[in-house]
Amino acid sequence: MIDFLLSGPESLAPYLLVGAGLFTLGLLACVVRRNAVGYLIGIELMLNGGILNAVAYGRFRGLQAAADSQILALFAIGLAAAEAAIALALVYAVFRNFRDVDLDLVRTLRS
Amino acid sequence: MSPSLFLFWPLVALVLVSAATAALARNLVYAALSLGVSLAGVAGLYLFLQAEYVAVIQMIVYVGGILVLILFGVMFSRDLLGKKVRPNWGARILGGIVGLVTAIACGRVAWIAAERGTMPTTSAPLTLVRSAPESWAGSIATDAPIHLGTLLMNAWLAPFLVIAMLLTVVLVAALGLVRKESA
Repeated sequence: MIDFLLSGPESLAPYLLVGAGLFTLGLLACVVRRNAVGYLIGIELMLNGGILNAVAYGRFRGLQAAADSQILALFAIGLAAAEAAIALALVYAVFRNFRDVDLDLVRTLRS
Repeated sequence: MSPSLFLFWPLVALVLVSAATAALARNLVYAALSLGVSLAGVAGLYLFLQAEYVAVIQMIVYVGGILVLILFGVMFSRDLLGKKVRPNWGARILGGIVGLVTAIACGRVAWIAAERGTMPTTSAPLTLVRSAPESWAGSIATDAPIHLGTLLMNAWLAPFLVIAMLLTVVLVAALGLVRKESA
């Protein structure tokens, strides 16, 4: 435990733990939230956990892996931006039709 | 023991606490703002991972872009400051089970990785401020953007172009979604 604490940023495990925590909290948010925006926050948290894991693994596997994992992270961040834009557009469309973004209330496909 | 420990562990705690707030806060405005704190903390972790370029992009795209989008989206919710929409009990119980199982699974994986010794430590001490290295082989820090750009234009060119096209399609699609139907 002391070793774990002292090795700190120079070992892989803390990053994996943070990534696991972020993913878990994001999944929890997705399950618990009824609001579409809260759901989106959960998705962003999960994505961040995953990207952090990728970069952390690459960092400790040599330079080539580090560079590849960073490029992977850049792609994932770009995809997350695209996903957020589409999700917000959907939220806006839902809001315009239902006057609310509570996911439990939004059940019909054609209003 | 390096002084960066006193920066690292508080940063880890900050990321996890603010992520918990983002996931569970009743108030969506607080949730969105603490999501921003958490994303900025992850950018700090990228600095510790010697991924400076990713850290900068994280700040620009996530904290600067996606967070603003989400704050904009918060305006559409009824439960702004004050009024609270509580999750129903089914969702709470399911959330508890799912969270617990995922936490155990992910923690177990991290623990196995730690115990098997598959976490090689770096030989050089990691500090936030480094002197300029001689070459790419010396450090991935200073020259990293150059090499990342070279890699993007060679080995990763096809995915890069696909992402670029996807972003264009997404922009058009988002505009199409929010367009007034009568127009």
